[in-house]
Amino acid sequence: MSDPGPTSPHVRFTQRTLPNGLRVIVAPDRLAPVVAINLWYDVGSKHETQGKTGFAHLFEHFMFQGSKHVAKAEHMALIQGAGGINNATTFFDRTNYFETLPSHQLELGLWLEADRMATLLDALSQENLDNQREVVKNEKRQSYDNRPYGSFYEKLMAAVFPAGHPYHHTPIGSMEDLDAASLDDVIAFFRTWYAPNNAVLTIAGDVDEEPAFAAAERFFGPIPANPDLPAWTPPAVAPVIGAPSREVVAEAVPMVRVHFGWRIPAYGTPEFDALEIGTHIMAGGRGSRMYKRMVRDERIAQDVAAFTLPLVANASILAGWVTVRPDADPDVAERVFLEEVQRLVDAPVTDDELARARALVESAELGALARMEEVADRLSQFATYFDRPELINEQLARYLAVDAEAIQAVAKQVFRADNLAVITYVPAEPAEEAA
Amino acid sequence: MSPDLSVLDTRPGAAAPRPYDFPDFTRTSLPNGLSVIACHLPGRPLLAAQLVIRGDAGGGATGEQAELGGVTVLTARAMTEGTARRSAVDLIEASERLGAEIGADAGWDSVAVSMEVPRSRLLPALGLLAEVALEPSFPEDEVERLRDERINDLLQAKADPRRRVERVYPETIFGATAPYRRPLAGTELTVPAVDRDAIVARHAALMRPDAATLVIAGDLEGLEVSSEAMAAFGGWSAPAGVAPVPGGPSPAREGGRRIVVVDRPGSPQTELRIGHVGVARSTPDFHPISVLNAIVGGLFNSRLNNLLREARGYTYGINSSFDMRRHAGPFTVRCAVQTEVTVPAISDILGELVRIREGEVDEAELTIARDYLVGVFPLRFEAAAQVAGAITGLVVNGLPDDELDRYRPAIASVSPEQILAAAQTHIRPDAASIVMVGDAARFVDALRDAGLGDVEVVRDDELTDEDAG
Repeated sequence: MSDPGPTSPHVRFTQRTLPNGLRVIVAPDRLAPVVAINLWYDVGSKHETQGKTGFAHLFEHFMFQGSKHVAKAEHMALIQGAGGINNATTFFDRTNYFETLPSHQLELGLWLEADRMATLLDALSQENLDNQREVVKNEKRQSYDNRPYGSFYEKLMAAVFPAGHPYHHTPIGSMEDLDAASLDDVIAFFRTWYAPNNAVLTIAGDVDEEPAFAAAERFFGPIPANPDLPAWTPPAVAPVIGAPSREVVAEAVPMVRVHFGWRIPAYGTPEFDALEIGTHIMAGGRGSRMYKRMVRDERIAQDVAAFTLPLVANASILAGWVTVRPDADPDVAERVFLEEVQRLVDAPVTDDELARARALVESAELGALARMEEVADRLSQFATYFDRPELINEQLARYLAVDAEAIQAVAKQVFRADNLAVITYVPAEPAEEAA
Repeated sequence: MSPDLSVLDTRPGAAAPRPYDFPDFTRTSLPNGLSVIACHLPGRPLLAAQLVIRGDAGGGATGEQAELGGVTVLTARAMTEGTARRSAVDLIEASERLGAEIGADAGWDSVAVSMEVPRSRLLPALGLLAEVALEPSFPEDEVERLRDERINDLLQAKADPRRRVERVYPETIFGATAPYRRPLAGTELTVPAVDRDAIVARHAALMRPDAATLVIAGDLEGLEVSSEAMAAFGGWSAPAGVAPVPGGPSPAREGGRRIVVVDRPGSPQTELRIGHVGVARSTPDFHPISVLNAIVGGLFNSRLNNLLREARGYTYGINSSFDMRRHAGPFTVRCAVQTEVTVPAISDILGELVRIREGEVDEAELTIARDYLVGVFPLRFEAAAQVAGAITGLVVNGLPDDELDRYRPAIASVSPEQILAAAQTHIRPDAASIVMVGDAARFVDALRDAGLGDVEVVRDDELTDEDAG
């Protein structure tokens, strides 16, 4: 019996642009009585200037502190009281705000998003700024500073991208810069970036197309565009780092962990897609080469990982790590990890490896597109980054089209000694910190 | 000219809600006693399948011997490490070719083998699932590796403040012999004793068709679930030995609260847990407790989060939970606070736990909590795996098939009086243990001065389980 394989899901959607420049995408899907609302603002940590790191993220917190018609903390109360869930995240290239609601609460969600896009500054207060600054500093402590190996992200980005490059610092920023943030910064940031012509609104789920567009137009249509929206041009950056770099960090970690980073082509390029599949074959899950060799057979690794970040400003990063078992030699673990990387350069992946990777990618797509929050987020993403929301229906085909030659070609281009940053964490006694 | 934003002056109301019912499911039995539940979800081509061994039939870590702590989890993990017909690598690759990843794991009250797979490949994938469940070969060297990895994981857990506090906390609330006091996957002392023989024995005792339920959810149009289940599991017969004994309850620790500081010099934050033994999932006031917890520490605008995050800025977030299992699990308040405010944060938390017992909640917070729990209900069941997980939860906890249909009306009818009664019965700040992992030198004097009770300080490299011996 031949296996036809799963049928690729197809997301039906329509995109329109309001006169104020807001792009609106509506994707009806009536399976569950649920609607996802998703707003991407084309601003992230890459737009931050020196001395202002972490500000895009601090600002994101500010978006939950009220607006003209919404009191502090009321945004969350209204969403949760409507039976919804919501959140926001800040990344290098963008900031997103999203809520999933029972579909009869669509208008409440749109109104809340429109009110803060239009009138956030009406709720501005030093007290709110001070409070959220402390919350964000505690987020940094909890997510990075008080976590074994927690500084690797910051260190790796700084090693793979040069000082002055927008990806050199991570979205959480520095404590010093957070302390320096002022109300004037909030005002300027809002007026510059939080405008309808710098945003994409997606509505996905249990809605009819025309009423959904009408509701979006009603609430967002009157919000003025920012006619002076700055053009942001990604800086030119060399395709490779240019020199190997190496750092050893002695911290209160229980086992040696070696982190690796390479500069790679940007998200959205065929090279990136090929690396994504190649990385999966190399280190994705228990059927991968590295798991088999390093965890199962040679038993030098407690765990291994490798993954890409979807960055779009002319370059991105592929990162990986091996946590070295206490009874293994860290130098051997590092060498074997890099041997497995080199195998992608030296020989094409096998047909069976490709077939397995493709089957898993297909299943992952089926699962992801069953969730309206994910559908809405992807539509907003593809519209924001590439002005092509239809990529949501092309992405799977692009992954499936990756062949062994494409993987080997990009591996040759990326996995070079002068394009590798290594950061090794070694156990040390906990440092006594001055009180 | 300023824009006309008057449309924003009026907050829109809700439209008429579309009716929602938890998806129907049907239950059949194979001749060997295996229960099969099928749940048809149109338009969900990625199916979820779970074979679960119920805790009331001895499944789960609660029923294992204390000196072999972790044997149930290790047994589950070892099930995917090879079968009578295939090596571990062959097995993993075969499932990957189907686009499926088969995982096995154990909880306190169940052992489950699970997968997600496209509907066109259900039958071969179910065959692999059955192979994992029924014919694992438990190769000696793979068992040894899993044991080593667990020991290494314990090293990692000790160095991570969050995992460290989660390990110490149950030791402060449960009695010396309580299963729930132990880490689910075993300790430095018990894991070395878990050898292949112990795993083979545990597997043989647990895997009985009359103790098992197979749940399959997703777009089942045109699929004959019971005949597919029969093809995969029909040959399974009960082992000759007696069925294992289900685990008993976990009694609370005698002697009241403990206040424990695990000293971790240099920590920028204190990981903090406060609470005591809570309730079992079968508690008759499940619904009032659910609303109660939402108000205390479940919602974003819960009393705890409003105070400690939004008013004080002490933390990135704080929450509370009743971990409801077959027997009474923990009630826990969780947060990480910056070191300097450790003691004020504890006072604030205890203050809220006292306040919730002192008077009825107000109408506004009650409305938000009820509407939230009622409203998010359909949001929790978009994917087949979520639906299968909810059904499995019913099976594991021995709840009736209509439990999920009853949920929304029951939540909607919870009253302020019921919440107050639940708070006074189930939240006991005077008995709550307080556990911290942080830089003791910077707050321990103030903690002693706070007069909450004796403060035990242990070094970061010590184990804290003084009672279990």
